[in-house]
Amino acid sequence: MEDIITEIQYDDLIESTGNTPILSDSYSEVEREILIDVKDVSMLFRLPAEKIDNLKEYFIKFLKRKIKYKDFWVLKNINLQVRRGESLALIGRNGAGKSTLLRLIAGIMEPAKGEITTKGVMAPLLKLGAGFDSNATGKENIFLNGAILGFSKKEMAKKYNSIVEFSELGDFMNVPIKNYSSGMMARLGFSIAVDVKPDILIVDEILAVGDAPFQKKCRTRIKQLQDSGTTFIVVSHSMETLKSLCQKAIWLKDGKIELSGSVAEVSSSYLKYCNEVSLDK
Amino acid sequence: MAFLNNNKSKANIVMLKKSVFVLNSLVSKNIRAQYRNSTLGVVWTVLNPLLNMLVMALVFGQFFGRTMPNVDYPVYVLAGNTVFGLLRMTTTSGLTCMVENYDMLTKTRIPYYVFPVSHLLSAVVNFGFSFIALLIVMLIRIPNGVKFYWTMLMTIVPFLPALMLFSLGIALILATMYVRFRDIKHFYGVILTLWTYLTPLFYNDAILSPKVRYLMNFNPMYHFVKYFRDIVQSGIVPSLESHLIIYGCGIAALTIGLLAFGSQKKKFIMYI
Repeated sequence: MEDIITEIQYDDLIESTGNTPILSDSYSEVEREILIDVKDVSMLFRLPAEKIDNLKEYFIKFLKRKIKYKDFWVLKNINLQVRRGESLALIGRNGAGKSTLLRLIAGIMEPAKGEITTKGVMAPLLKLGAGFDSNATGKENIFLNGAILGFSKKEMAKKYNSIVEFSELGDFMNVPIKNYSSGMMARLGFSIAVDVKPDILIVDEILAVGDAPFQKKCRTRIKQLQDSGTTFIVVSHSMETLKSLCQKAIWLKDGKIELSGSVAEVSSSYLKYCNEVSLDK
Repeated sequence: MAFLNNNKSKANIVMLKKSVFVLNSLVSKNIRAQYRNSTLGVVWTVLNPLLNMLVMALVFGQFFGRTMPNVDYPVYVLAGNTVFGLLRMTTTSGLTCMVENYDMLTKTRIPYYVFPVSHLLSAVVNFGFSFIALLIVMLIRIPNGVKFYWTMLMTIVPFLPALMLFSLGIALILATMYVRFRDIKHFYGVILTLWTYLTPLFYNDAILSPKVRYLMNFNPMYHFVKYFRDIVQSGIVPSLESHLIIYGCGIAALTIGLLAFGSQKKKFIMYI
């Protein structure tokens, strides 16, 4: 059953883009190892209707049985598989569940229903300053972040110079991160993530804060990683970036997969939909 | 199925390896952060307890020092504070650790236990520095009759592990509560002050009335402090009962802490 699904997706891809550089060579590509397997995943946010964060209110409300919860299904029955070396773009409007899906894949949250299995070293870049301690210096944070990704001090010491070089932040290594600009923070995070050569690289929007030359550098580096077999998942609202970096795309709408296929196909349908929405208003 | 299990245990080992690296990084950062931008740097970790002891000995020596003619008062004060310091540091920084590391919790994948444990280990390192300060004071006070006993070695085992279990347990309970109820921080500040005064750190429990001394038995820190002074200052090997008490307190606190933390940790992300 799974094989049929994947074959269909691959056929779609080859058909629509004509010459897909990595995927078109042979059927052996279909046999590539599945790195991310999302099976029938749903995610529920159970939020208290009002925020209660002190004891007094909690007890009063509890006694009166007035703690109300609001159930909110962010993701509904999501199925997807990503194989080694593939790159996937997640597209959708704000609140469609893109970031939640990334967090689930990264293992930060557990799904309410369904199962997610992943293989290999994963480097999630989910938000600015993730995995950083704002009071620590850039240098300390490189080691901290490396540790979070599963690398010892010794291993990070070997990577240290190339990370600093790539980030172009050599002068700021002894400055606490809290004094960094958002662009600098993104640079540091990205430089670490690509230097550890992950099997899976997950990027949520953060590339947008870098300046043009750095963005270009990032794209080149991501392409290099892709060629060496890194699986890449990205969320972005810039269709141009997505088209240049990804082959496949998934459009999420209200927590469901609206459309999946080649990036060109999905992004054009999505843009069409966006135009309709803005015309309606 | 066997393959699945194997995969799972492999993942657990990777997680453990990761936790060790992160702990290492967090602890060294915590220690350095304490005295960042100070000229004397790490020297403060020893100097701080020394100076504190000096102040206490000067101020309280006149009031309480006379009530204990048989023990050296500065060593008495410093020994008590060294023990209480570990609890104070682990619990006050452990209390806020889940909330303060919000960014790491919501955007990276590391076991939550890493944060409270990192504060415990930082406090243990500090305990080591305070212990050096204690040794210095004891050396200086040799002319006043201070002696070194072999029982001092019992600090490392069995004393320290019991104190660590106890402090971590309390820190886990507080960290869990603080995620839900931010009042705990202020509340615990008051409790801690009270606890400090209810533990004979700078006074001799012999001056208390029999009734209060009986109640003192219900203060776990009283037993920890007494145990430590016995092995360091008096050269007494504590009774089996003392050992059972400190380990009993340690294991009980940690069990409650782990149960509370474990049952709530999946909800942390929703409340922070």
